[in-house]
Amino acid sequence: MMRRTAIVLFVAAAVFVGTRLIAAQAGSALIAAQAQSTLIAAQAQSAAVAAQAQSATHAPASALPDWSGIWAMQGPTVFDRASVQPQNGRAGDPGVREFPPYTDEFEAAYKKNIELIKQGLFPDPITNCGTPHGFPRVMNLPDVYEFAVTPQATYILTENGPNIVRVYTDGRKHPAAEDRWGTYSGASVGHWEGDTLVFETVSAKGNSDHDVIVDRTGLMLSGDAHFVTRLRKVNDMTMEAQMVIEDPKALKGPWKITKQYRKLPAGTWAWDYGCAENNRNPISSSGKTLTLGPDGKPIDKKVD
Amino acid sequence: MRAMKFSVLALVFAAGALLVTRPAAAHHSAAMFDDAKVVELKGTIKEMQWKNPHVWIQVVVDQDGKPTEWSLEAGSPNSLSRNGWRSNTFKAGDEVAVRLNPMKDGTPAGQFIGAKFQTDGKTIGRWQ
Repeated sequence: MMRRTAIVLFVAAAVFVGTRLIAAQAGSALIAAQAQSTLIAAQAQSAAVAAQAQSATHAPASALPDWSGIWAMQGPTVFDRASVQPQNGRAGDPGVREFPPYTDEFEAAYKKNIELIKQGLFPDPITNCGTPHGFPRVMNLPDVYEFAVTPQATYILTENGPNIVRVYTDGRKHPAAEDRWGTYSGASVGHWEGDTLVFETVSAKGNSDHDVIVDRTGLMLSGDAHFVTRLRKVNDMTMEAQMVIEDPKALKGPWKITKQYRKLPAGTWAWDYGCAENNRNPISSSGKTLTLGPDGKPIDKKVD
Repeated sequence: MRAMKFSVLALVFAAGALLVTRPAAAHHSAAMFDDAKVVELKGTIKEMQWKNPHVWIQVVVDQDGKPTEWSLEAGSPNSLSRNGWRSNTFKAGDEVAVRLNPMKDGTPAGQFIGAKFQTDGKTIGRWQ
């Protein structure tokens, strides 16, 4: 009796182990099959992406221009120097304005900003440290720039920021309208035409949240603006960005702007710009830009 | 030009060529500064804050026998370092003459234009 029981137990144990073994083997086979199919799918996806990129117009690394170095925008930060009044007026000074082909709605809004500037109540959104300048203002900044060119993307890095404009040149298209949203720098895709990077920017948030301006005269654009920028090195010392801006809400016609950037001496450094490190200029509830003393308390005679 | 009451030295220059002085763009509106005035002070450096977004120079000035601390705002350390400044350009105890666009509301603060060190006569910023 005991012997029969032992045999039954032995057989049961063997069957159990065998079953587990088979199950484990089956599981491994299944995992392996899944892995294989995942790998195949990934390879197929990679191949598709590669094929898409291959079909794009991006240049091989050896054909890309040398935009190395540190660059500084030439001139003051008035965005449209061709139309600014008074001539040589400085962005932020009372009464200084430009003349984009504004719609009535945006002309009225611009005039309100100009009036607030006269009252000292038009704070620059970037005074709240950490707010990016947004496109196209990012092409119109003091301090310095770097242009990092790779076959898949060109990166416009601004010292005064935080800003990075990523221009993808791997053949991708803009995301579908339902897959994008307004961001400060927008979404940019481009291609090379010889030594010129031509890129289109959409989904820059503009004035939708009232935290992006184009310059300190109070210029604004809407979140529907569309930008075509042609960026190239016109000589060893000069980069140039030619922009054509269309905006069905803000502009009655195309607005053309050219910015140039001068190369600084070899070995020039760009540095961190940690704006929040020691920001002694907070904004009051009325929009006045305050000044803090070294103890962190406002020193303005009047604080609202 | 007219002298102010400051016992050491404080001069207000009338508008003129000297006054096209605004330094590189700040990270904020410059509405609080009076570009039409240039004040010159003599005093002692208390501290230089070499930090972003602006370098601040704290200067103690004897005004009518009373020490008054002025806060002078300059550009970013990034841009100033590319224009001959160092993080120790101003040291506590340095005797200086400084020029600035003052705040409109009379607060002892302003936008730095230039400085002259009293010990060796060297200048930094714009000093003509």
